[in-house]
Amino acid sequence: MTEKYCYRDKMKRGEIAGKVLIYIILTLVAIVILFPLFWAISSSLRPDEEIFKYVTPFSAKAIFPQNPTIQAYKNLFTVRKFYIPIKNTIIVAVINIVLGCIVNAFAGFAFAKFDFKFKKPLFVLVMLSFMVPFESIAIPLYSLINKLNWVDTYYALLAPAIANGLAIFLFKQFFEDIPDSIIESATIDGAGWMTIFFNIVLPLSVPVTITACLMIFMGQWESFMWPLIAARSTNLKMIQVALTDFQMEHTTLWSELFAASIVTAIIPILFLLPFQKFYVQGVTDAGVKE
Amino acid sequence: MKKRIVPYMFILPAMVLLIIFKIYPIFIAIIGSLFDSGFGGSKAFVGIANYLRLFKDGVFWQSLKVTLLFNIFVNPIQIALALFMALLVNEQVKGINIFRSVYYVPVAISMTVAAVIWGIMLNPNSGIVNSFLGIFGISPQPFLTSQRQALPSIIAITSWKGVPYWMMFLLAGLQGIPKSIYEAAKIDGCNKLNTIFKITIPLLKRSLAFVVISDTITNLLLFSPMYILTNGGPNMSTNVLMYEAYKSAFSYMDMGRAYSMITILLILIFIVVGMQTRLLKADY
Repeated sequence: MTEKYCYRDKMKRGEIAGKVLIYIILTLVAIVILFPLFWAISSSLRPDEEIFKYVTPFSAKAIFPQNPTIQAYKNLFTVRKFYIPIKNTIIVAVINIVLGCIVNAFAGFAFAKFDFKFKKPLFVLVMLSFMVPFESIAIPLYSLINKLNWVDTYYALLAPAIANGLAIFLFKQFFEDIPDSIIESATIDGAGWMTIFFNIVLPLSVPVTITACLMIFMGQWESFMWPLIAARSTNLKMIQVALTDFQMEHTTLWSELFAASIVTAIIPILFLLPFQKFYVQGVTDAGVKE
Repeated sequence: MKKRIVPYMFILPAMVLLIIFKIYPIFIAIIGSLFDSGFGGSKAFVGIANYLRLFKDGVFWQSLKVTLLFNIFVNPIQIALALFMALLVNEQVKGINIFRSVYYVPVAISMTVAAVIWGIMLNPNSGIVNSFLGIFGISPQPFLTSQRQALPSIIAITSWKGVPYWMMFLLAGLQGIPKSIYEAAKIDGCNKLNTIFKITIPLLKRSLAFVVISDTITNLLLFSPMYILTNGGPNMSTNVLMYEAYKSAFSYMDMGRAYSMITILLILIFIVVGMQTRLLKADY
């Protein structure tokens, strides 16, 4: 009896120690992840002359702004016109989302619900297109866009991004679970394929559509190398390029640079946070189910 | 459902766009590497002359060396950390959902933002990291400004951004493992470390294979941190092949050289991914 109790007690103590250790590690990792952001926010709220003043020695003053001000954000949106790249990126992303969802859902629908010649090789092509990363084709793609006279136009930013192998794959996976009988009965009722697609299939596919929208949005918001080479003009500049240009042009406007980084980071977080589940599940499905 | 043309109508737009903008550029690169050409100018077929020129080019070899060195370290580090973090947030303790959400934060943050913020934090003279190290009596480090520390610094920065992303896939894999297996292992007296290596990792093979391959492809082509933070320096110590190809195309206007480097990168990806696929015996 006592032996058993002792054993249990030890187990419990071991478990508690284990849990404490887990919390310590969890917290340390969380600090490493959050500190740069916290520090950037804090620095963006300092006047410029204060930015490096209190860095050494390491103390509370180094981390918290002493005279907090939102002047950097004000300048960013007035003098620096940082709203232009934000607006550009959102315009590109929204058009991309609308066209991308239609085009990729169409393809996913065909792969999920039809039998046709060359289905297999065409699907291999889709998979291949998402295995070949964008950076590797950015330079040859530039010469193509150049030949089409699309450099510095919305076409350059949109055309290569609309068809998306990963989105096609996700739509296909989702549509496969929609029972054939629903579609068949609609065909018998004489509905055309467009009606079936837009009135029956898409309304049943809200989750995968949200995932695809988020993926496309993130793709455009984070894209850097492509807009860097294909859309340089000020009135077309995308957000990440605007941020790095800012860093290179205004090397001493530290608080504004921090403010620009925070604005660039916070917008996608606001979009993703409410839909975190859809995004994580959608993206990881591609990795697990493949 | 055998309407003959209907399926083709549905896939047509996507296929046309994929072929023109994703597949065709690969051929532009491969074929272009056999020509001597400036932008849009006259082209002359030169066979493998561009490649021969590269093989005699010290900068090319240096860039290839940096690319391989970077990848030999960054991929195992990121995958090990991602696995560690996934196991960590898969623990069933109170408040774990909050930690999970926190760990996902860098997924939503672009590489550019990460590079800009970390770049200032790692400033040798007035960076917060050196100030922090000062508490422990460590003298200020040069980080990105030194030939020896620049590449490790970039590895750290890209890992801050990349590890949480790969963790997301591994966590999804972990959550797919039935709990009953762990319970059985516990009853059989299997300790935690044994459970991880003998049960969890083998069952996670599919997700791991995906992460290993995707992470490698991403890092073989990594470009933005070098562009933003070091311009390939100091002294070419972070001059990866992708960055050199970019400079070749847009600074030196030497498309033949850029295309042959892109082709070599594509071959490199093909070889590495092929080897990984075989080793991991994943059926892709």
